[in-house]
Amino acid sequence: MGRLRVILLKEWRESLRNKMVLFGVTFLPLLLVGVSVYMVVEGGGIDNPAAQVVLFNTSLMYFLLLPAIIPLAIAVYSIVGEKDQSTLEPLLATPISDLELFLGKALASVIPALVINWASFGLFLGVTSLFLGGLPPHVLTLPWLVAIFGLSPLLSLFAVSVTMLVSSRASDARAAYQVSSFAILPGIIPLIIYSSQKTMVNLTLIGIEAVVLLVISVILLYFAIRVFRREQILTRWK
Amino acid sequence: MIKTEGLTRRFGDLVAVDRLDLEVGCGEVFGFLGPNGAGKTTTVRMLAALIAPTSGEATVAGERIGRGNREIRRKVGVLTETPGLYKRLSAADNLLFFARLHRVSSPENQVEHYLKLFVLWDRRDAAAGSLSKGMRQKLAIARALLHEPEILFLDEPTASLDPEAAKAVRDLIETLQSEERTIFLCTHNLDEADRLCDRVALFNQRLITVGDPKRLREEMYGRRTVVHLVDPRPGLEDELKLPFIKSVERLENKLIIGLEDPDRENPAVVRRLVELGADVQFVNELRMSLEDLYLDMMGGNDGAA
Repeated sequence: MGRLRVILLKEWRESLRNKMVLFGVTFLPLLLVGVSVYMVVEGGGIDNPAAQVVLFNTSLMYFLLLPAIIPLAIAVYSIVGEKDQSTLEPLLATPISDLELFLGKALASVIPALVINWASFGLFLGVTSLFLGGLPPHVLTLPWLVAIFGLSPLLSLFAVSVTMLVSSRASDARAAYQVSSFAILPGIIPLIIYSSQKTMVNLTLIGIEAVVLLVISVILLYFAIRVFRREQILTRWK
Repeated sequence: MIKTEGLTRRFGDLVAVDRLDLEVGCGEVFGFLGPNGAGKTTTVRMLAALIAPTSGEATVAGERIGRGNREIRRKVGVLTETPGLYKRLSAADNLLFFARLHRVSSPENQVEHYLKLFVLWDRRDAAAGSLSKGMRQKLAIARALLHEPEILFLDEPTASLDPEAAKAVRDLIETLQSEERTIFLCTHNLDEADRLCDRVALFNQRLITVGDPKRLREEMYGRRTVVHLVDPRPGLEDELKLPFIKSVERLENKLIIGLEDPDRENPAVVRRLVELGADVQFVNELRMSLEDLYLDMMGGNDGAA
């Protein structure tokens, strides 16, 4: 079994035993699916296509928030939890490489975030269709699909990089979670702005957001990988 | 097995380890003794290829530090100062995780072997966080051994354990000793070092001395015989003039006599005392402890009698 896979399985096994993480990755998605379905179904009765589109787009926006928020819970506990339990040194004493450890931690947060987000999105579409007998026309546009399937990985990557940097300096999971939550805000503010406009998301906006996120994520990843060096972890991490 | 030359580690202006020259042989239990903050953990971290030295060189299990770091980590096992277990995972899952990271050929069998060896098999499904301190420490030692390392670094293995758990851990170390593993034992439990180690090094940022504990004591204090007497008369010690006697001290009813070779010279000393009219109650050798040696070497015995 590859070491990366070993790390991933361990992270998920631990996460499944952590009530805080479980709550974070299940409650919020279910809540947002519930709220979204309620908004769209209630709005379905409105005889105003523009209002319907606004409601639907507001709902879709939630599925761009989830990939940024879900990784926080997993990554914070994954890194601060290691510090709390003093497990980093025994882990670093194995032949695992710094990159394997970093990728293991990052993917352990990104993969569930994407799976949960897309599953929530599917659930939302399914339940909404069920209630409305189909989706309202012109709401699920190509830009939205590109945003949800294309931007989500970038948002998760951005959130994980931020969280890894914050967690390396924090000794308390709650503090790390709060700071990370604030730190990811710049990444999701554009989404909130787009969704509040009638013009809604279009491919140009998505493209700009993707490029900006990619550039910021690459810069943050560069620093996160530097922070995740053995020497740094053992001598600099608090 | 381990050889260091001028091994040095600085953290900014602080010199944690200063020009350490050391050799540890194959199958040796080597005690690395020093006070808190002496740089013992930093030394272990350098030797286990976890942090890089600022200068100097070291070879561990045939691999040069800095060049063969991954190989070193394959060949050594490290017990860190705190057990560092995943508290939510079971005892078996903790070991399985590390066995797989080390790519042990049959991880499940190896985990079972060590859980049974360390009498933890019945608790294999218990969360590591629910185990007693002693059990957690044993589990951490098992983890360090899973990949059958050539060298085992043990950093304060019995610190903060109750006497019973500490004894269990010491017994385990003795078992490992009989398997002829090289063990590098960091401790400030001097009795433990005296009992377990073939050689010890006294270290406080730099190496103070190194050697077999018994020989170090003899070099420092010589060999001394204590003769217990019944009401010895005043001045008796001055009359005890034999050419091989190096020193005589009187302490209440006892004479403490410094000798070169007590096994050969004690009978003559006793005969001379009897000739001088002394009633000899019994005779024994004064054994200075490793603690005395440590405190004298570290300068902590200034006020001691």
